[in-house]
Amino acid sequence: MGTLHVTQTGSFLQRHHFLLRRLHSLSGIVPIGVFLIVHLTTNASVVWGMVNSSKYDGLHGGAATFQHEVNFIHSLPFLILIEIFGLWLPIAFHSILGIYYATTGRSNLTRYPYQDNWRYSLQRISGYVGVLFIFYHVATLRWGWTFLIPGGTKWDGEFAASTMASALQGGTDGMTTAGLFVSLCYMIGVSLLVFHLANGLWTAAITWGLTVSDKAQRRWGLVCAGLGAGLMALAWSAVIGFATLDPAEAQLAEEHVNRGHGVEPAHVDSNVAMTTSGNEE
Amino acid sequence: MTSPTPVSQDSAKHELGAERSVYFRIKRCDGPGKATRWERFKVKVTRGEGANVLACLERIAANPVTADGAKTTPVVWDAGCLEEVCGACTMNVNGKVRQACSCLIDTCAPNDGDEVVLEPMQKFPIVRDLWVDRSRMFETLKRVKAWTPIDGLYATGPGPKETPERQQERYIYSTCMTCGCCLEACPQFQQEPDASKWDTSFVGANAIGQVQLFNEHPTAKELAPERLDAMTAAGGVSECGNAQNCVKVCPKEIPLTDAIAAVGRAATIHGIKRFFQGK
Amino acid sequence: MAAGSGSEKRVIVIGGGLAGLAASARLAEQGIQVDLFSIAPVKRSHSVCAQGGINACNEVARQQGFSEWAHMDETLYGGDFLADQPPVYEMTHWAPKIIDLLDRMGVPFNRTFEGYRDLRLFGGSLFKRTHFAGATTGQQLLYALDEQVRRAEQDGMVTKYEFWEFLWPVTEEVDGERRCVGMVAQDLRTMQVRAFRAGAVVIATGGCGLVFGKSTNSVSCTGAAAARCYQAGAWYANGEMIQVHPTAIPGADKCRLMSESARGEGGRVWVPRTKGDKRDPRDIPVPERWYFLEEKYPKYGNLVPRDIASREIFDVCVNQGMGIGAENMVYLDLTHKSREELDRKLRGILEIYEKFAGEDPRDVPMKIFPAMHYTMGGLWTTFTPEERTADSVMDRDSNRERVIGMQIDAKNTMSTNIPGLYALGEVNFAYHGATRLGANALLSCIFDGLFAGVGIANYVRDDAPDEEAVSSAPFDAAVKQEEAKVESLRSRAQQGLTDPAVNPYVIAQELGKEMTDASTVVKTGERLEKALNKIQELGERCSRATLADASLWTNQNMAFTRSLSDMVKLAEVILAGGIERRESRGSHFRLDYPDRDDDQFLKTTVAEYDAATGRPKISFREVITPLVKPRARTYGKVEKSSDPAPEPRETVAAEATS
Repeated sequence: MGTLHVTQTGSFLQRHHFLLRRLHSLSGIVPIGVFLIVHLTTNASVVWGMVNSSKYDGLHGGAATFQHEVNFIHSLPFLILIEIFGLWLPIAFHSILGIYYATTGRSNLTRYPYQDNWRYSLQRISGYVGVLFIFYHVATLRWGWTFLIPGGTKWDGEFAASTMASALQGGTDGMTTAGLFVSLCYMIGVSLLVFHLANGLWTAAITWGLTVSDKAQRRWGLVCAGLGAGLMALAWSAVIGFATLDPAEAQLAEEHVNRGHGVEPAHVDSNVAMTTSGNEE
Repeated sequence: MTSPTPVSQDSAKHELGAERSVYFRIKRCDGPGKATRWERFKVKVTRGEGANVLACLERIAANPVTADGAKTTPVVWDAGCLEEVCGACTMNVNGKVRQACSCLIDTCAPNDGDEVVLEPMQKFPIVRDLWVDRSRMFETLKRVKAWTPIDGLYATGPGPKETPERQQERYIYSTCMTCGCCLEACPQFQQEPDASKWDTSFVGANAIGQVQLFNEHPTAKELAPERLDAMTAAGGVSECGNAQNCVKVCPKEIPLTDAIAAVGRAATIHGIKRFFQGK
Repeated sequence: MAAGSGSEKRVIVIGGGLAGLAASARLAEQGIQVDLFSIAPVKRSHSVCAQGGINACNEVARQQGFSEWAHMDETLYGGDFLADQPPVYEMTHWAPKIIDLLDRMGVPFNRTFEGYRDLRLFGGSLFKRTHFAGATTGQQLLYALDEQVRRAEQDGMVTKYEFWEFLWPVTEEVDGERRCVGMVAQDLRTMQVRAFRAGAVVIATGGCGLVFGKSTNSVSCTGAAAARCYQAGAWYANGEMIQVHPTAIPGADKCRLMSESARGEGGRVWVPRTKGDKRDPRDIPVPERWYFLEEKYPKYGNLVPRDIASREIFDVCVNQGMGIGAENMVYLDLTHKSREELDRKLRGILEIYEKFAGEDPRDVPMKIFPAMHYTMGGLWTTFTPEERTADSVMDRDSNRERVIGMQIDAKNTMSTNIPGLYALGEVNFAYHGATRLGANALLSCIFDGLFAGVGIANYVRDDAPDEEAVSSAPFDAAVKQEEAKVESLRSRAQQGLTDPAVNPYVIAQELGKEMTDASTVVKTGERLEKALNKIQELGERCSRATLADASLWTNQNMAFTRSLSDMVKLAEVILAGGIERRESRGSHFRLDYPDRDDDQFLKTTVAEYDAATGRPKISFREVITPLVKPRARTYGKVEKSSDPAPEPRETVAAEATS
């Protein structure tokens, strides 16, 4: 019984049922949703940053812009606190509660294959997969579990684009089969997360009672779909951008940017760089 | 009048005229905790006679012999008005929940030899065969105080005035016949045989519709805070997962998802109020 | 041990439709504990099927000359003066208060622009006096009462026993007088047979449509509860008074109402000229169609009054065998009208046809036939008349100084001839005489419960014996009797029924067919006698009826077969009353006695069960007519109708599409 969990996990969940449900809904939008939008925009700069190529002396504008963005974020004060309270805890809260809530449902798509029911099931599937993906993403790039990365690339915040490209490509010598697999996983992972956010925004409007009528729900649905499509474009361009980026070419651009900021690559403590740039990934 | 024709064991002539055979595959269970089994019956229907699923069940009851010729007991089912206003005969027909009375054989099994699959509702404890115990739904109506707290039954004058728009809005919610289709199709509503857990289990769409119905009435809305307490407690409106199957299977086309959103809005305001009032 | 053996005064209410719920709510309000029994969850009771509305005088009608008195007069006139007048007086005078009460309960009555309750015109009246809630007024009223009873249940005043079937009233005899002290019921799931004690027992179990096989009634409307009370000694009155609705959709399982407005909007009734023509109706050219109403009644055509329409359709099908495909059906054809116009005016009712007949009536002619609809007769009940000064407003048309209503606190209000056993709602014979006016049924059921509830509470408080004081002997005996019936049925069980002679479902079909053919639209003494013989045969077969299920868990087979033998008893009462009433009155039309005969038959038919023979003894009691002198019921020449009740759905359809 799904409801059995309620009593088994004690009365805390029951006593604060509504607050927790609403915080769960809220945390998905602020801060997690907002962060995802910023993150995808930043990462997609590896593609949209190409417009800046002339600014960077004809070097790879995407890699340069991305490195520039990364460096900016590194410069923020109290970054570790922002990360913990603005990101890790909300994501943990949203994930753990979300998985628990999802277990109270029983998908019935075979009997009721309606579009909305598909969304319901997909929201839960994307949540489960999203948690796994985020874990992989953070573990490999943030915690340096390089054994999970084909080619063993260690992501380096001073060479943000080039190391990212290597991580997705399975090494520095062009796309390998394993790299293709990682890229595909990224493609699926970010796509599901984008869906999760867009659909979550749509259902949140119902949950909070913003869109009451069917008409309003459909209207808001179009807005969410539009947002989802935009984010999907950013997400895909980021993944495709890194998957096709030449690490060597990117490194030239990164060095250029880092010099422009007066930071000598040789002096960078890579551990510090990792700590302060983890939120970018 | 067309008298129901008892099923004949002799199948040779079933194609004569408009008469044809349909098969019923029925999930049977002799009682709570008993094993389930499938039985298949052959029933003769005449095209255009208006036979529905229940008429066929009556024919099976009159001649409880399976398609293989095995003798069995009549199938047990629940029925009432046969006009889709009482909600009694709700069951799964060909995998989807609906009232069996409005399920016409000519529509759901149009060809000779077609099969109709009947199963009891899955979200309620089985009584026997196609009959389930939906008392939880009626208990839930108590939980959300689905009534108008009038002073009493003595004549004290008319009720409050109401605009036609408001009346129309309330009327549609008031046509809910507590059939349970919305709950059967809801991925968030699960069977709960233990009655002591009903108070913290998901109320389901129909009860949320009733909350909306009564919160919109000038007198009944006096109990709105209590209803919203139930809606913000465990098993309240926020357990809805927005699959929106409820509104699609509702035989009365009640805008249940509108109700869920409206009650969600009221619950939000109620929750914020309570938070700041420190209750 | 019987439930409720504490010292609290309790009442058992059997049936959770409008009457049973109204009574339960009233009794609970009076501080009486109620045990409410129903074979289904009360919210699924047959009252949900009523659609049209509920009649009551109102200010708008009053300002046009209508009054409570006029409402009473219409009801009596409609019922061909067979109803005792004081109950009808009281009911119609209470009607506005009942509407107010329902309004307060939150019934979503349709509203005017300003927010007042809207009204519609119904037959049998020149004034708009019918309140309505969409197309499901009965459902809405039932739900409102269900909610109030649920509230009382929450407060601990009402205990529900749903899926319990009433089997037998328990009576004890004190100083030569019998009184009802409880009843025996069976849990339809566990099949447990059990006695329940109470100060009084209220029967509110509705009509007996299933005696006629396919009717417009719900599957629970077997009349078995009334038949059991009758066999236990309660009188059954006016059994022969059965209302047949002319246009119903014959289904394989029941008949569903089809609005008269279909004819009002130009629908044409016809059958193929060739007997048993099986062609698609659209392939039958106009010259080969017999528009029999237009042919026989060139002036009024398809819009002849209801009783005539019913009789003609019946004659064409039953007597002449000219029904569609030799079946009892005629076409009601709207296909010559444009889809646009049909949708605008009749969409609501056409959708109902579409849903249940599976055909689009805009493309294919509808198939319709008259169907048994309402039981005016029922358990005989009494009341205490109360004389009072006529009200200058409510009784403005009466030209009387004094009027006679019912005393509200009287303990015998709607009591059967067995003290402590009450009958309310459709199972009570009291209000509708020989036929019922449209939109009066809901009123009578709610009024009965609310009004009689007061007297019943008084009876229970003052007169009913303390439950401990009643010997357990009659309870034990009744339980034993019912257990014996169960065992007898079980002993005859065998899986896989083969012999139709003892197949209960076959017997039920034969019963329904015989009753419909002999005792609905047109009756003759000869045919009724023949039917009575047939019923005797069915009764005999019923006593040998074989079950296909011997189990003691949710055995519907057993409940059905047991009810069937009770339905046979009720069929006898209906036929015997019809035979003895040698006149035509209201819905009772005797071809061999086509005129009303007030000298001999302005009387209530009373059937009393003769335990020795198992047959009904018919006698007649004077109708109490102190208020209105019976007059010829003509509705002018043009509008002569045995059933002036208009079709509930028609106005709904018009409004829904306008």
